[in-house]
Amino acid sequence: MALSVPVAPMAARNRRQIWSVGGGKGGIGKSLLTASLGFQLARMGKRVVLIDADLGGANLHTCLGLPGPERTLADFIQRRVERIEDVVVETGFSGLRLISGASDFLAAANIKHVQKVRVLNRIRALDVDVVLLDLGAGTSFNIIDFFLVSDVSILTVVPEPTSIENGYRFIKSALYRRLRGVAAHDGVRKIVDAALDPKNPLAIKTPFDLVALVEREDKDAVAAITREMAAFHPRFVLNQVRDATDVIIGHQLVAACARHLGVKAAYSGFVHYDDAVWQSVRRRRLFMVDAPTTPAAQEIRQLARTLLQGESLGLPW
Amino acid sequence: MIAVAERPDTHYAVLGLHPRASREQVEKAYRFCLEMYGEGALATYSLIGAEETEAARARINAAYEVLADPVRRREYDAAQGLASPAAPLLPFPVALPPLAPSAPAAAEAPVAAQAPSSVPPPPPDLARHLTGPELRKLRESRGVTLREIALVTKIGVRFLEYIEEDRVALLPAPVYLRGFLMEYGRAIGIDPRGTADAYMARLPPKA
Repeated sequence: MALSVPVAPMAARNRRQIWSVGGGKGGIGKSLLTASLGFQLARMGKRVVLIDADLGGANLHTCLGLPGPERTLADFIQRRVERIEDVVVETGFSGLRLISGASDFLAAANIKHVQKVRVLNRIRALDVDVVLLDLGAGTSFNIIDFFLVSDVSILTVVPEPTSIENGYRFIKSALYRRLRGVAAHDGVRKIVDAALDPKNPLAIKTPFDLVALVEREDKDAVAAITREMAAFHPRFVLNQVRDATDVIIGHQLVAACARHLGVKAAYSGFVHYDDAVWQSVRRRRLFMVDAPTTPAAQEIRQLARTLLQGESLGLPW
Repeated sequence: MIAVAERPDTHYAVLGLHPRASREQVEKAYRFCLEMYGEGALATYSLIGAEETEAARARINAAYEVLADPVRRREYDAAQGLASPAAPLLPFPVALPPLAPSAPAAAEAPVAAQAPSSVPPPPPDLARHLTGPELRKLRESRGVTLREIALVTKIGVRFLEYIEEDRVALLPAPVYLRGFLMEYGRAIGIDPRGTADAYMARLPPKA
């Protein structure tokens, strides 16, 4: 395995962590990745709760071989139950539990800020080691907000043009959303808002353009913006790789993020495409259990270790 | 990462390299960057336009042309203030003269004499005999760690240590050792064959 380099050490004191898995595009294995990563973290002794917030359809329970649960996150949001603990169900795997069925939660355009804060606070207060959030596809504000508040923000991509395009779009949206939060005043905020539109009249194409414009608008506001850029660390996981050339793409993504977006991303790991995984999915069984000796299962185990240690795969030279 | 590598405009930064990168690392980083900015490359096509891609490729080639050439690299390092007097970058590959000049080498001698004088001759004793500790000094002067060599050559760190400690009894059979030494030399950017010859010349013939 390649040299590992530390990226951003995770807060050591706060044992309770929120990890989120986003990706921008549907059908690239986010749910399966979330389920198997959660399974592995639980096997490593962590107490884990998976939360299904996939807009494309809540299906995390299917990945785990479970029937559709009776209670879902929606019951908590609509106050049909008082405590978030009441919608947590057992998965049958030791240490791994699930909050299911929030398919309409993050997609809802009318979700109120207070609701979001309430859910987030209750998630944070869960008595577990890791909360693992499946964000599903899309780059809506709600999805991105959960991505940004996470201690570990995982971005899934597959080595295909559409997925990587969406991945970059996701990173840009998340970054601009983050920068908007530290905008000193309306002048700066307007520039950040303009940047979100790819055809913006200010001709902002990259975060570097944005910084240059902010500098012209207000020299004192630049420090906060660049500090915020430097603190953003999305972590790439490359799914469904087929060969060594695909594996290298992860390193190229990190290099391209640094050079062209000014974002210090990490390459946390890759998972090979595997027919055995597909067959397990068909049988509604977790491949980590069904096919534990496959390269894919080994790579999930490696990925869990790398993420826990807050490292990035280093270039193989 | 040391401070100089943070400067985004150096040839090293363009290839994503440490200023002490070995010859082999330069080669690999160059190939990586070319692929990254290749025609329709997945990682960049949606981020930058054709013009910018072309410009990136041009910078990569310019960086490679300098860093792959020992003389030009040394001049560049000096001009950039990258060469620290405490750890002079050796020209590489260091031309170790043949141990026993063979006929063809002798025939080439006049040509060699006209080689650019900017390449200082290696210390004469290195030419014929190279001990483990001397090898280590050469390696350390280039800022290459054993672990880096191990990664590139797939030779275990333990064996590399034996080589540097002259622990002859623990070293593998001469045919393997020769291969190891050549890999070692290549990894730190000195003449592989010369390294193997100069090291092995001191070893007693195995019974």
